[in-house]
Amino acid sequence: MKTSMIREVLSKIFLIFLLLIIIFPFFWLLVSSFKNEKDIITYPPAILALTYTFDNYVKVRTTIPLMAYLKNTVIFAGGVVLTSSLINSLAAYAFARIKFKGRNIFFFFVLLTMMMPFQIFMIPLFMQMNKLNLLDTYAGLILPRMASASGIFLMRSFFVTLPKDLEESARIDGLNELQIFSKIMLPLCKPAILTMSILTLMTNWKDLLYPLLLTNSTNMRTLAAGLALLVGQNIFAYGPVMAGTIISILPLIILYAFMQKYFVQGAIMSGLKE
Amino acid sequence: MSDKIKAIVRFWNKPQHAAYLFILPAILVLSIFTVIPLIGTFIIGFFNINIFFTNTSFAGVANFMRLIQDSRAINALGNTLYFTLLQTPVQVGVGLVVSVLISKSTIFNKFCRAVFFIPVVCSLTAIGIIWSVLLDGNIGIISYYLLRLGVQSPTFFRDPALAMPTVAVMTVWANFGVTMTILLAAIQGVSLSLYEAAEMDGASKMRQFFHITIPQIFPALGYCLLTNFIGSMQVFDQVYVTTGGGPNFKTETIVQYIYSRGFTSPFELGYASAISAVFFAIIAFLSLLLNVYMSRKEAGLS
Repeated sequence: MKTSMIREVLSKIFLIFLLLIIIFPFFWLLVSSFKNEKDIITYPPAILALTYTFDNYVKVRTTIPLMAYLKNTVIFAGGVVLTSSLINSLAAYAFARIKFKGRNIFFFFVLLTMMMPFQIFMIPLFMQMNKLNLLDTYAGLILPRMASASGIFLMRSFFVTLPKDLEESARIDGLNELQIFSKIMLPLCKPAILTMSILTLMTNWKDLLYPLLLTNSTNMRTLAAGLALLVGQNIFAYGPVMAGTIISILPLIILYAFMQKYFVQGAIMSGLKE
Repeated sequence: MSDKIKAIVRFWNKPQHAAYLFILPAILVLSIFTVIPLIGTFIIGFFNINIFFTNTSFAGVANFMRLIQDSRAINALGNTLYFTLLQTPVQVGVGLVVSVLISKSTIFNKFCRAVFFIPVVCSLTAIGIIWSVLLDGNIGIISYYLLRLGVQSPTFFRDPALAMPTVAVMTVWANFGVTMTILLAAIQGVSLSLYEAAEMDGASKMRQFFHITIPQIFPALGYCLLTNFIGSMQVFDQVYVTTGGGPNFKTETIVQYIYSRGFTSPFELGYASAISAVFFAIIAFLSLLLNVYMSRKEAGLS
């Protein structure tokens, strides 16, 4: 009995310590983003300051093209989410519920692409996009991401769980194949689509190397790529950079606060691929 | 004419035909933007190609021969393996311990789960910026407190010996929420009756952990190890933001080297592709090895 008590206490202490390690950097970032520049670069450094200001959030728009970054990230990540959720679900539906010649071969092909890290083929992809004149365009950022093997896989594993005779009765009612998909199937898999969309949104919002490669003008950069390039290891104006960092992570953190279930589900589902 | 259209519509409306239309967009996108570039990697590696497509010529195996003698490439491979060996075991270890500690669904544990996942939704760019200021030798608050505790001038990302371990620990901080979440789902799927039976036999918590939890969640554990391993080998973002490969190439990784070879002067895309192709073979080989090892372990456990 006694040892279990000690274990309980020790585990609580460890977890609280871990909570602090996770929360502190965010707390510090938030506080710093409201500090005057001189309070950030003062020595010895302090967590809190005597005066706070909103200045950094005003200055950030002139020191960093942050609004352009934000707009680009929303268009890129949002565009990928909208197009890929449709294309992935269509393919997943066919793979899960329709018997057709070559189904296994096509599905194997999809699975094979899942294991190919982007880093391996980024150079030919760059050359290809260059030839297609798609570098530095929204289309160039969105097109390659409009379908993803893991998205198809995730949606397929949901479609197979739906009852068997669903589409038979719809066919008898005279619906065509596309209507069966859009009117019967899609409404049933809203949670799965939401999970996939959130996963896609998060991946693309956070992505660095991919947008770094496919864009080259400053006003086409995404938040992750733009901040990394402009700031990187050499921060020039701490206050605005802190504010910019807050702005870059806030949208997803807010979304996470309201839809934690889907974020977690996405992490688990992407972990289920065998 | 309209009969013809009707016939076409009827043909494609048969489920076994419509299926091809349904998978067509996905297959097209994956073929054009994944498979063709992937094949391209192996072909371009045999050419001298620069970013401006001037002086393109067949190079044969010259690029690959050059790679063997390229000390910067070998250094990058070493750094990548070093990062992987630091990051992967620690991340899976921390993820496992935490997931076991918070497996009961109490309010406190649910709070922990929610908080531990927060870094996962933030870009490594943002996280890199945060940590490089926190650990800055001059204005970093953590460096300052460590100095006060008696640690000699801790400069972390600027210290040749400490830079890579620091990047690895930061990566664990950023990503262990994913491992924790996956393992937590696996642990919650273990039948409670197994623990009850062990409890009846008087097995200690430690014994229960090693003899019930670990074997039961082994597939999930293996999955985490493998994906973490593959992900670590491709490390780029966090290094690019915090150290840029320095100090003195001590943290330059393979992907970063491929990137700088291809996209900074003299823009040798052919050589960079050759490195990519060899790198792909290395990852595939090591992943296979790890997979075989885990399967053997799993067979031994059951």
